[in-house]
Amino acid sequence: MLTVLSHYLDSVKENLRLDHSSQREVIQELEAHIEDEVQDLRESGLSEEEAASTCLTLLGSAKMVARQIYEAHSQGSWTQALLAATPHLLFALLFVLNWWQGVGWLLGMLALVLVMAVYGWWRGKPAWLFPWLGYSLVPVVAAALLLLYLPRSWSWVAILFYLPLALWLLYAITVQTIKRDWLYTSLMLLPVPTIVGWFLAIEPINQLPEDWLQRMQDFAPWIGLTFLALGVTVATFIRLRKRWLRVSVLVVSGLITLTMVAYYTEGRLSITAFLILMVVMLLVLLSPSLVERTVRHSGR
Amino acid sequence: MIKKNELIKGNTDALLLCVIARQPMYGYQIIKELDSRSQGYFKFKEGTLYPALHRLEKGGLARGEWRTLPNGRQRRYYHITEKGLNVLVAKRGQWLDYLTAMNRIIQPVPE
Repeated sequence: MLTVLSHYLDSVKENLRLDHSSQREVIQELEAHIEDEVQDLRESGLSEEEAASTCLTLLGSAKMVARQIYEAHSQGSWTQALLAATPHLLFALLFVLNWWQGVGWLLGMLALVLVMAVYGWWRGKPAWLFPWLGYSLVPVVAAALLLLYLPRSWSWVAILFYLPLALWLLYAITVQTIKRDWLYTSLMLLPVPTIVGWFLAIEPINQLPEDWLQRMQDFAPWIGLTFLALGVTVATFIRLRKRWLRVSVLVVSGLITLTMVAYYTEGRLSITAFLILMVVMLLVLLSPSLVERTVRHSGR
Repeated sequence: MIKKNELIKGNTDALLLCVIARQPMYGYQIIKELDSRSQGYFKFKEGTLYPALHRLEKGGLARGEWRTLPNGRQRRYYHITEKGLNVLVAKRGQWLDYLTAMNRIIQPVPE
């Protein structure tokens, strides 16, 4: 096949952002189309270059073709939407029903999150996987933070062994997710700004664990409500076809949930902290698109 | 005046379902078939054909299946499904009603 045609197919592939098997089928189908078209054009008397150029004109822009095929495939079913929203809804229930203090509930939920994340990962990374994947990384980050509170003589264990391992794991999963589609990384990281927001708003000044627990208990219904909002966001995201709408729904959701945190904590979050959180939220949700470009360029 | 492209765009699904209802076909074949049966009227922007076929498949109106041709090449054939046939019958009915109504109005009245 001529280089110009291979470049066309590469460009379609780069912009498709489908799972590997669907992507392979689409490219194979377009390749077959090009093969037939070029052969017919050659038989009508055109040179190889002319046939290739006419074929590309008839096909139209690679980006447009890729975008339209993406939109034909992107919309998930209501079942997938519900499955994707489930981890957020479970966390919402955990707080609304005040189960977050029960170790059994926490361990049960953690086990469910891990099982779903591993299952989805090995089933070809469907769209519903990514919210589960995000929550499955929470214990990794939480354990790293807890290890920092170990007695001084033990903190080297965290620094030498656990932190590099945890960072490597986070990096590997993020890169793999970005390779699939950067929007799924944003979907995976969606709760991060909200969790950080609640953490900053609830953190007591005198650092006493009892105060912290009391505040958590006071704010639990509102924390649950923000997770419910995240669940609705994720379900909407899965049902949308167009990428720009998907990006918009994530950003709007970030704005709404952070505003909810600021509103329900009645000024415990300063305006500066709120604005910084907004910037962090935009960075968390949109920077994966920049990382995707770097990953793709380095992969070439 | 309605542009030809807009007419095709609004009826893409019906046109594709009509073609594959006769016999299963692959993308390039569908384009050639539409071109020949419409005597060159329906010139599809080829890149838009595959998104439309995939949309039909995703909606359960068509089913794609890889087949190996006698020359060893593989092509993805699209078959119409039961649901697709029902949609086609409905679309055909709508279109015929529309044509009848249009003809009643658009034809010159004999003096």
